[in-house]
Amino acid sequence: MSDQTQTEKENLVMEHLVSLTYRERLTPNLNRFVDELLEGRLVGHKCPSCGRVYLPSKGYCPMCVVATSAEDEVEVPDTGTVTGFTIVTPVAYYGQQETEPFVFASVLLDGADTPLNGQDVTGLPHDQLRTGLRVKAKWKPKDQRSAEGISNRGWGSMGTVVDSFEATGEPDASEELFKDHIF
Amino acid sequence: MAANDRGATDIAIVGFAQSQSVRDAAPSEVQLLVPVVADAITAAGIERSDIGFTCAGSCDYLTGGPFAFVSNLEAAGAWPPISESHVEADGAWAMYEAWMRLQEGDIDVALAFGSGKSSPSNPAEVWAQQLDPYYLAPLGVDPVSLAGIQAQALIDAGKATERDFATVVADSRRNAKSNPNAQLSGDYDVDALLAEPYYRRPLRKHDVPPISDAAVAVIMARGDKARELCERPAWIRGMDHRIEAHQPGLRDITSSASTTLAARKAGYDGGPLDVVELSSTFSPQEIILKNAIGLGAGVNVNPSGGPLAANPIMAVGLIRIVEAASRIIDGTANRALAHATSGPLLQQNLVCLLEGE
Amino acid sequence: MCSDFIVSEPRIIETKLEFPYSRTLGPVMGAFFMALRDGQLLGIRAKDRRVLAPPLEYDPETGESLGTEMVPIGPGGTVEAWTWVDDPTQKHPLDHPFAFALVKPDGADTSMVSAVDAGRVEAVHTGMRVTARYRSEPQGLITDLEAWEPTKS
Repeated sequence: MSDQTQTEKENLVMEHLVSLTYRERLTPNLNRFVDELLEGRLVGHKCPSCGRVYLPSKGYCPMCVVATSAEDEVEVPDTGTVTGFTIVTPVAYYGQQETEPFVFASVLLDGADTPLNGQDVTGLPHDQLRTGLRVKAKWKPKDQRSAEGISNRGWGSMGTVVDSFEATGEPDASEELFKDHIF
Repeated sequence: MAANDRGATDIAIVGFAQSQSVRDAAPSEVQLLVPVVADAITAAGIERSDIGFTCAGSCDYLTGGPFAFVSNLEAAGAWPPISESHVEADGAWAMYEAWMRLQEGDIDVALAFGSGKSSPSNPAEVWAQQLDPYYLAPLGVDPVSLAGIQAQALIDAGKATERDFATVVADSRRNAKSNPNAQLSGDYDVDALLAEPYYRRPLRKHDVPPISDAAVAVIMARGDKARELCERPAWIRGMDHRIEAHQPGLRDITSSASTTLAARKAGYDGGPLDVVELSSTFSPQEIILKNAIGLGAGVNVNPSGGPLAANPIMAVGLIRIVEAASRIIDGTANRALAHATSGPLLQQNLVCLLEGE
Repeated sequence: MCSDFIVSEPRIIETKLEFPYSRTLGPVMGAFFMALRDGQLLGIRAKDRRVLAPPLEYDPETGESLGTEMVPIGPGGTVEAWTWVDDPTQKHPLDHPFAFALVKPDGADTSMVSAVDAGRVEAVHTGMRVTARYRSEPQGLITDLEAWEPTKS
């Protein structure tokens, strides 16, 4: 066998696509979150033990390991603070849809303890984005909202309901207020 | 040295809990686990802070999210930070790791759990991901078809008949009548089962397990701590797991050499057993496993109904151990053997031998 | 535990996860898949002189490296065990009813999981003679061995 054929054999590459489809009901907690979200309200659960507010709720508090229920539901306003962010420059990976640099920010809603990750922030240039920035949800018109982005994996994205979080122009929030809730 | 000779005799199961196995469970996998772990802790009479090591078993492909297992840890209570580990395998292997960890002697209590929701996916497709990615996975061969091949090989070898398969199913469903966590139960006539159409000839639908979602947890303790926590601990006399070649064509699929070896290494000497719980996912596998372990007629196999009555993948093996342990703890059995399996056609097998005082 | 939640409607979500893999094959599997493209099955010679099919890199019993002595096998073979698939899924290699089987290629000492395209279940039996059918447009996958067919006598 020639060396060339040997090399060809050893370098042979097999392409194999694993494709799996999952079909399921949204968990009751997320279903409830979506019900309210579509109406323009943001609800979560307040842990009866430690008082932390989870949004969306998981149905339990992972810190105290106690179940939470409908009785623990609380609503929070659609205003909050940017607690962390990055500007993503898209690279061509499998399934990537964005083509231009985009914001991936964590927004801590006022009264919540869990930031909403992966949010777009608008109303200012990318180079002025900063932690502490005060923002408010920019809702889609009611007839254009859908639950499509919400998923049982993580909890998905609410981009089909809220376009972005827009800078309000208020003074920045103090880091003391959010240092334990960065991501 | 066999596992049962290295000081394993002073570790016992002292508490456990499992959820009901159901199709399409509404809560998330973590939500299934939260009350199960809490109930196991309560059953053992310990505090969460008493746990020196935690090990979990689950499968990210099944959950449908890379690193999904990290969320499951929230059911254990991971803050302040705990000592933990995870196996991408049935909870029985998580229990094995926790049992090994306890043998180091510096901790007294360990938690192991297993969980899985098979309903969201097509389990036959997800399960196929465990197959070798060169010769088997791209062929699209699914576990049910492989089990059909194994069943036919068993018949051709003269080791079983279709009637034997149907008898296993009827026994399973009858036994499951007394198991509140089982999914399929009832009285079935063997002839009526044999009149059903083939699904993967020579297998019929009832030879194949249901699609199940569930979670299970066990608390183990060492020596005096176990005696302090439990009036009648289920002592782990030995636990061992063995593996064979992956390709089904390279081994005798009508027997299970790895099960035989694991049973021997776990300390099973052929003596009497009050209860045997086998991970016989497909009905022909119960016959293979009974032969491999050397179980005679009349042995009480799968009083819970086994995987044919409820098959929550990633929990089903640990559930076998829990079902065996529960009968020792409640005093209805004194010596029990439990089995878990992994890989295509019983490639890897774990045996756990349990005894009362 | 979730019975107390108010559920408006069961929203059904569908998620598709895809993992694209590119795998280098190395000297043993590379040789197998390259020969398969040309319609030739290969096994590998083990230390005990047995021919293993499909060819492995390591001895399944001892873990020793098997080297690279490839042995042409097939195109005839024998069905060792089988099951019948009445309702093929999209993941299955054939779109009409067929058998999944363990087939021992002539010249090999072990059998491999394959599809047997026999048309109807009555045509399949353990011990039946089959002949390999190769894909006319190979894709570099195991399914380049499209199926085994009953050998015409």
